[in-house]
Order: sequence, then structure tokens, then C-alpha cells
Amino acid sequence: MSQVLGRLRGPNNEGLLVAVILVVVVVMSLSSPAFFTPGTFFALVRSSMVPLILALGVLLVLISGGIDVSFPAVAIFAAYTTITLLRDRSLDPSPVVVFLIAMVIGALLGLFNGVVIARFRLPTLIVTLGTQTIFKGILIAYIGSAYISASGLPSSVTQVSGAHLLDVSGGGYLHLLIIPVIAVALVVWAMLRWTVFGRSIYAIGGDTEAARRVGIRVVRTQVWLYMIVGALAAFGGVVYVILGRNANPQSILGTELDIIAAVVLGGASIFGGRGSVIGTVLGVVLVQLINNNLVLLGIPSTWQRAAVGVLLLLGVSAQALGAARARSRPVVVQKEVEA
Amino acid sequence: MTSAAEPVLVVRDVVKTYGGVHALNSVSMSLVPGEVHCLVGENGSGKSTLIKVISGVEKPDSGTIEIEGRVHQHLTPNDAIRSGIQVIYQDFSLFPNLTAAENIAMLSELAEGRAVSSRKRIHAAAERVVSELGLRLDLGADVGTLSVADRQLIAICRALVSDAKVLIMDEPTTALTHTEVQRLFVIVRRLQRRGVAIMFVSHKLDEVLQISQRVTVIRNGRLVESGESSGYTRRAIAKAMTGRDVSEERLVSDLPGATPVLLSVENLSRSGGFSDVTFSLRAGEILGITGLLGSGRSEIAEAIFGIHPADSGTITVSGKERSIRSIKDAVHAGIGYVPEDRLTQGLFLDTSIAENMVASSLDSYRTRWGLLDRRRVRRSIADLFKRLRIQAPNVGAVVRSLSGGNAQRVVLAKWLDRKPSILVLNGPTVGVDIGSKEEIITILREQAAAGMGIIVISDDIPELVTSCHRILIVHDGRIVAELAGDEIDADEIQQRMAA
Amino acid sequence: MNAVRDQLTELNSRAGNAYSAALARVHVARGVGRMALLLAVTFTFFAILKPGIFLNPVNLTNIGIAAPEIGLLALAVMITMLTGGIDLSVVAIANGAAVTVSTLYTFLVTTQGEGAAAAMTPLIVLAGIAVGALLGTINGLLISVVGITPILATLGTMQVFNGLALVWTGGVTISGAPAALTSLGRTGLAGVPMLMLILLAAAAVLAVAINRTPIGRKIQLQGANPVASRYSGISKRSTLMMTYITSGLLAGLAGLLFLSRNPSASADYGASYVLLVIVIVVLGGTNPNGGFATVLGVILATLTLQVVSSGFTALRLSAYEYAIAQGVILIGVMVLDQVKFRRRGRRSAADRLAQVPAASALTE
Repeated sequence: MSQVLGRLRGPNNEGLLVAVILVVVVVMSLSSPAFFTPGTFFALVRSSMVPLILALGVLLVLISGGIDVSFPAVAIFAAYTTITLLRDRSLDPSPVVVFLIAMVIGALLGLFNGVVIARFRLPTLIVTLGTQTIFKGILIAYIGSAYISASGLPSSVTQVSGAHLLDVSGGGYLHLLIIPVIAVALVVWAMLRWTVFGRSIYAIGGDTEAARRVGIRVVRTQVWLYMIVGALAAFGGVVYVILGRNANPQSILGTELDIIAAVVLGGASIFGGRGSVIGTVLGVVLVQLINNNLVLLGIPSTWQRAAVGVLLLLGVSAQALGAARARSRPVVVQKEVEA
Repeated sequence: MTSAAEPVLVVRDVVKTYGGVHALNSVSMSLVPGEVHCLVGENGSGKSTLIKVISGVEKPDSGTIEIEGRVHQHLTPNDAIRSGIQVIYQDFSLFPNLTAAENIAMLSELAEGRAVSSRKRIHAAAERVVSELGLRLDLGADVGTLSVADRQLIAICRALVSDAKVLIMDEPTTALTHTEVQRLFVIVRRLQRRGVAIMFVSHKLDEVLQISQRVTVIRNGRLVESGESSGYTRRAIAKAMTGRDVSEERLVSDLPGATPVLLSVENLSRSGGFSDVTFSLRAGEILGITGLLGSGRSEIAEAIFGIHPADSGTITVSGKERSIRSIKDAVHAGIGYVPEDRLTQGLFLDTSIAENMVASSLDSYRTRWGLLDRRRVRRSIADLFKRLRIQAPNVGAVVRSLSGGNAQRVVLAKWLDRKPSILVLNGPTVGVDIGSKEEIITILREQAAAGMGIIVISDDIPELVTSCHRILIVHDGRIVAELAGDEIDADEIQQRMAA
Repeated sequence: MNAVRDQLTELNSRAGNAYSAALARVHVARGVGRMALLLAVTFTFFAILKPGIFLNPVNLTNIGIAAPEIGLLALAVMITMLTGGIDLSVVAIANGAAVTVSTLYTFLVTTQGEGAAAAMTPLIVLAGIAVGALLGTINGLLISVVGITPILATLGTMQVFNGLALVWTGGVTISGAPAALTSLGRTGLAGVPMLMLILLAAAAVLAVAINRTPIGRKIQLQGANPVASRYSGISKRSTLMMTYITSGLLAGLAGLLFLSRNPSASADYGASYVLLVIVIVVLGGTNPNGGFATVLGVILATLTLQVVSSGFTALRLSAYEYAIAQGVILIGVMVLDQVKFRRRGRRSAADRLAQVPAASALTE
């Protein structure tokens, strides 16, 4: 029985997270009849799309043993710059091209992160704190600080903004972009599980020095990693612009915490070497669930920020206490058996 | 396994200097396929440098490395790996968060330049090596959850998957129990049959003589002895290593009369560690506790010092019963501890000798205003520096730059400054040159003579025989024998440990 | 051969003592030497570019008034970095203290009248500092008792403290502060702004506490090697608690300075300070991995960044460009440090015996 439970729990306690989500859903449904409707569900999906993409980037960095706080800046930088570039040249390419251009920009920004971190072996949190400010500063100071409304966006983009896959009575809908979002999640999952590159990321996060000794090209892998993360962030940024029908250089910034909280709640270890896509998805869902529906529990939305903070602390406390308990369990000393 | 075969590795006249100091001075040696060749030397003798040169991590100033007849002038780590040289370091360089199978197969996956990682293929490759060596390992377990012995086996398997021709093992038996060591030797012999040449770096001379065909002794960067192991005794090798004849006769005389009991342990037990341990320690006494690794000897010390407190039983210090649930409790009770892992647990490596020395006794230097009395601190530090004869330019030197013996003296100094009534030392002379070993024992004897009670946990039986008044033997978590005075005899102890 | 070696060792040991004393003095806080130089260079740079605006006494006074609150926050983060941790919640704590004081004062004014409120200023100020210590204690508990790693703990508390302040103030800026406090922002002693004197006093006390008290040394050892410090009998719990309570205290004090500059408090004031403070601490010679730091270096770094900020304003550069500069400085300093460290590592083994400043306070 305990074996089955153990397997259900999952390698990073994902099962526990599912249980927590279920409990939250139940509590919310009981508190308010308006909760358990398709509208709420689709709103949840919609609000999770961008955070999920960004969270996948954070997950990759976390697994490799680092922390990246520059991803929102990369996201909006890439998206806004792309839109501005296209607008200034009066271009209107297909959305795929828009994504591609943004992702290239994102990859370049990520390259900068990667080179500084990997080549000089600097602490990732502090470096990305620095690059976050640099990217944001360059964006607003030199590229543009204007809010671009829907009319300023390329028409191909606004067309996608309105593309619904599914419409539900009461105003809920499933956006077309859910497909590429799920696709990206699957690609990341596959990469982590089925490629040597992905396994190397786990290895680097597990023990960077050992990785070097074993012949893993740590610097190269890390640089590629940060480029991928940059591209992912850019992808998320474009999705954000499409869903919101506007490009605002001040947006997205400030959401670092929600996303890091989601990834950490999803079981990724801050020390590296552990984490899964499933867990991240669940973490994002939980955070969005709370964020969107606090009101239903009678808690005013000004409490949102504090609520996410408390959620993060609770989740991390649980992890820390669990780890402490595992450490203090008496290690069964091997009895020497005569040869 | 004779030297008539073509050597797979030849080191020729390798010289390596660091800032004018010769780490290796024209060293030559060779490895023949299928032989076990032990490299023996004190810390600082140059053996680590030699390993680094062979594995391509360091480039020699002159001299060559020949692998299978091919001369390498500028060997890189990847060159070395590709030519079949594998080093298993003391920390194994494994990934605790990945499975055993992945750890084993990772090297070859990387070497083959694969992009896709198939779990099935990894498992199959790992399975193949594991069964070839006749092992039983849980391939699906995360390596972080496995025992040290299993992890070592995984490291060996990993080396083999990439078709190692030369396997260099750096102090492989330090963390293994007696049984595990024997099991390792069985594996080593199987490797020999496969034609793998093995360089075994070890300071455990009994094991060296047991497992190797040839032994090479290196001292101060020079090769001083090399030949068939059958032609050497422990004493001969030790003499070559140190350049001195080391005697193994008892140095301590019996305890004078009845001195006060400093420590009294009664029915101490900890599940999974030891049970019903009862003994006492008098002032001026040096008590040795020995047993095979895993017997509980370290666990008892850890319980006394509060690292892993006991579940039941009593500890009485100087007549007062103490509850020791944490290191702080133990330190306040007047117990000091010189740990086994001195680099991580005993020292602040990037800090000065001076700071290390007062690390435990800072509170005792507090003046009325809450500040440190710097003059007193300086005096204590200078005094300890002189008394313990620490070899360093001055007290401001960073501990990281010290040799093993000197670093251990700094750890001792730290506790001596605190003036505990009881000092527990776990493996105090591991990784310490012979000169320092003798001095440390002398210091301990001086402290005992001054009234301190000393407990030495060690598996270095000759050392215990020469320096202890009494020896307790631990087996399977229980104290099975207590030898005192004339009863103390090395063979007797060996027997009791394994009985 | 051995005789020569012995003689050399003797000589070496004698020279070593003299050498290390001199070197230690130069090295002491490799931050200090470099920082003083950097400060001088930066100041001269802007003075040459825009002497009219920059060298204006009003401008200089402004630097002396704006820097202290940031300096206190930087000192707060510095201590936590000493133990190998970090405190991202310092700004939130400062705002919390400011909001507390402002609220209390306004409450007293409305219920008891201005006179009574002014009379109770010391109590009100104390309340603000107490809030800082309280929030710091929460950090300390989460980190030392529950065992959460400092980055995550303070990331969470930053959010929670900020969120609570947001709820309390309703998102608006509240105004009202004791006159005694606000006058501090305008007065000076012998030309030095009062606020700057407060910073220097706090820095002096902190420096003494870190280098000359048992608890201060324990904090440094804890950061240098947590395992060895546990095995040496140093209590991790009390060391970390002390660290984060002190950090909270300093942050609370910074919050009071916020008020003394503008008699208003808001939950989101100083959002850009978190990065700025980390830049300052790293620039000031603190190793973000714990173990070594210098109060003086941090103070000099604070002044330097303030000079840069003022210079940028004089050059009519935007706040965003100042932000870019901060990021560039942060990364630049770390890269340079790494390059120097790597190059030093590749030098001879003899250099391994070079002294490191940690001994200075004990042996000079």
C-alpha cells in the first residue's frame, strides 16, 4: 500500500500538489456557487497560458542549479521590440514570423545571460538581477516606452487575438494559442526526458563539478540553456501581447514572484537537479487558481500579493521541514557481515 | 600479471613544478595490463600531482605520458578519457539526483555524441556492466540514496562502460567497511582478469600488500622505491614513505593511581547505531575505541558530542548527569571533538589560522563591554602557534594552504583553547604525515598528563597500541572487549574486532 | 640543501610577518582601497563634465541626504550576505516601518492632538524600529528554525510584507510624520547632513559589532563554513536570528529615514532599491557567498552610486539609464573579480600562502 502511495506521490511530490489543488477547488466550490462553472475553468486556462511558458523557462534554469529573475524583462523586451520593429517598417508578416523574430531576440538576450553566468561562473540570482535591469532599462530608454494599443499592432497579430478554439455560453472561451502552449510544454518535457542535453541539465544541477569531470561541456550546455530560456520567455511575451491585444513595455515585470513560486511549489528544488514539467504545470495552476479566485473566498484582491507570498512560504516550509525530517531519520548503519 | 607484458601506461621522467617547488621530480613508472599497482606516499609527496598529470588535468613541465605505445605531449582530460584512462576520485563525481543506471551509462552516452537519451538503452548498458562484474545493484534508485560502497561500485561500473584500460582509484577504501573492502577486492581481481590495469592509491599498507602486485613509493616528488609487493613488509614501505624507521612499541605507561572519573557512559543506545554502551574515562587517560567501520565506533563518539544524540542511556560528566541533545550541549558540558572530516567539519579553510584557533572559544574573551579582548586573543593564538609547532609563515596564513598535519594541529589548537575536560578525536591522524602523527600523539599525551581525558576513535591499530592506556573494541554496535595495559596487543585487537 | 631550505624558511617567516601586516592593511577590505579610488574617480568625472550643476553645494548636500537610507539598506543586506544568505525583503521592511510610524503619528494627531503626538515622538520612532526588528525576526525564524533557504524565505516575506502594507494603506500614499523626524532631514552638523551622521554612526556600531564582538565573529564564521561552525559549538540558530533581526532593525531605521525626507509613506516606495542595494554590497567588496565583507567598503560604494545617480541627473540622463548603469556596474564588478581571482589561482603555489584580510582585526 505504501508503495502505491509512494508512486502516486511522484518523484517531486506532484501527487501531493494534485491533492492540494483538489482541496482548494472543493473549498472554493463550497464558498461560492459561481466557482464551479466552465467559465471559471476557461478563465483559469487562459490566465495560466503565459505564466506556464515563463515558468517552463524558470524550471529549466532551476534544474540546472540557478535562479533566473530576468525572464519577464526578456519576455516583454522581445515582444515589444518585435512589434515596434514591424510597426516602424509597416510590415505585417504571419504570426509565426512574429514569434520567430521575438524568439531570436529572446535567444540573444539569453545568450548574454548564459555567457556571463557560464563563462565567469557567477551567481545566477545576482547576475540576472543585473541583466533584468539592463534589459528593462534599454527597452524603455532606447526602444520605446509608449503603450501600443490594438490598433498599433500588426493586423495578423490582432487576428490571432480573436481566434477562439472553443466558445462557451457565459463568455468563457478557449483560445487558439493553447495549442502552441501545450506543444511547447510537451517539447520541453521531451527534451528533459529524452535528450542527452536535457539529462545533462539535471547532471549539472546535481553536481556541476562532477559534470565537468565526466566530460559534459558545462559551459556550452549552460549557454544553450539560457538561450533556450530566452526564446521561451520571448514566446511567452508574444502570447501575452496577443492575448492582451496591446504591447506595453511596463507589463509582465513584477510577475517574477508568482512564477518562481509556481515552479518551486511544483517541486523543483532551489538547489538544482530536481523538477518536472508536470509539477510546474500543477504549480502554475495552483497559483492562478488562488490569484483568480480569492475574491470568491471573500478576500479582496489587494490581498493577492500577500496571499501568493504566504503560499510560497507555506510550500517552501513544507519542503524544508520534510527535508529536515528525512535527514534526522536514523541512518541504519550497515552491520558488518563476515565475508 | 608479470612485467613481461607490454605496459599500457608509461610515465617517463615527468617533472612538474609549482612556483619553484618540485611537485614531481623526474618520476617514471609503468602499468602493465591486468596488474594492480599501488602508489603509496604521504600527503604532499606528489601522488595527487602524478594522478593529475596522468589524467591530463595538469600538464607536466617535461617528460612524457605513453598510453598503449602512443606518446602524448599535451594530454588533455578528454584525450586521457578517450585513450582509456579513468580516474575514480574520492568523492566519486556521481550525480545524486540521477539514477544508478544513468550515472553508469552517462559517460558513454556523452562519448558517443548521442543526442537522444533512451532509458532502455541506458538501462541495458548499465545492466551489462553490472552483471559482468557479478554485482547486484538497484539500477533505478537515485544515487543520492545509496550507500557509499554502492556508490563506489557505480563509479567503477561507469569507468568500465567507457572501456577503461587504466583505472586509477584514489583512496578507494577510506569509507568502506571491512566486508565492503573485501568485496571491492573481488571486483578488482575480476577487472584484472579483463586486462584492466589498476593504479591503487592508498595509505592503508595492509591492503596495499594484500591486493597489489607491484608497489611504488613516492616521497617529496621522487620515486624512492618500486618493486614487487611480495618483497615488502608494512614497515619497509612505511620507512620508504617517511624516510624514517617507525617503531610500534607502546609509549604510554599505566595510569598512576585512581584519578577522578571525567566521563561515565551508561547503557547508551541509539537505534541503528549502537546499544547498551557502558564505559568510563578517567582524568589523564587516553582511551582508544576501535572496531570495523560500521561497527558503531564513530556513532558512539557522535552521540557523546551531540551530533546524533543517543535514544537512551546516561552520560555523566565530572559527576553531573548531562543531557546531550546537540553539539552545543556537549561543548557546554566540557567536551571537545576533533572530527574525521577535518576539511569540512573542522576548519574554516579560507580563513586565517588565528581565526580558526579561537572559533570555539570566542565567548571566553568577552570583556565587560561585550567586546573581544584582542590582546588576550593575540596572546593565546601566539602561544598555541608555538606550542603546537605549526609550520606556517605566521598566524595570518590561510588554513587552506596548510598541509594535512598542520591543519590538524590548527583543529587541535581550537579545542585546546577552549580547554575541555574531555577531548574526543575521530581518526586524528588520517591524511597526516608521519612526523605530524607523532607530534599529535605527543600533544595528546601531554594533555592527558595535564589531566584531560582523551578518547581516540581510530582504525589505525598500531597507533592505538602505542598511545592508549585502554582500548575498547566495538562490534555490531556493542562493546565486546576492553583491553588494558599488557593485554593490549595488535593481533588480539584484530581478532576481537572481527570475531 | 636542507640547511639552505631551513634558512630560507626562517627568513620567509620573519619577512612574512612584516609582509603580511603591510599586505593586510592594503588588502583590508580589498573593497576599501578600490572603492575610495572609484569614488574619487567618479566624482572627478562628473565634476569635470558638469561642474556648474554637480559641484553646486545644494547638489552635494542632496547626495548626503539621499544616500543614507540606501546605505542603511545596504548594510542590512551586507550582514545577511556575511552569513551566506541574502535579505530581499529589506525595502519591504523599511516601508513597513515607515507606514507604521506614519499611521501611528496620524492616529495620535487625530485623537490626541498635535502636541501630544509630538511629545510621544520617541515612542513612535521606537515603534517603527520595533516593527523592523519584528519583521526581521520573522525572517530569522523562517530561515533558522523552519530551515528555508534565505533567498526563498526573503522572497516570500518581501511579498507578504509588501502585500500587507498594500492592504493596510489601501494602495495609496499616507502622509504624516513627527516634526522631529522630518526636521532631521533638513538639519546638519558642521555642514554634514544629520541623516549622513546617522548612517555613519550606525555603520561604526555595526563595524565594531561585526569585528570586535564574539557574536560578530561567529556570524562571519557561520558564513565561511556553516558545518565547521556547528562542529565548533557555534549556534546556527542564534547566529542567524541575530543576523536577520539586525538586518530588520537597520531596514526599519532606513524606513524612518524615508519619512524624514518626505513625510509620507507608501507600500511601494523604493522598489528599485532592491537591485541598487545589491549592486552596492557587491561593489563594496562583499562576497555574495558569505564570509568577508567590509562596512567601510559598503559605505563608500553607497556614496559612489549616489554620485553616479546625481551625475546622471546632472547629465540629464533618465532614471532608466541609471538603472542600466547599475546593472552594468554589478555585472562588470563581478566579472572583473572573477577574472582577477582566476588569474591569481593560476599563479604559483607559493602564492597560496598569501594572507587574506580576515585575520586583520584579530592580529593587528
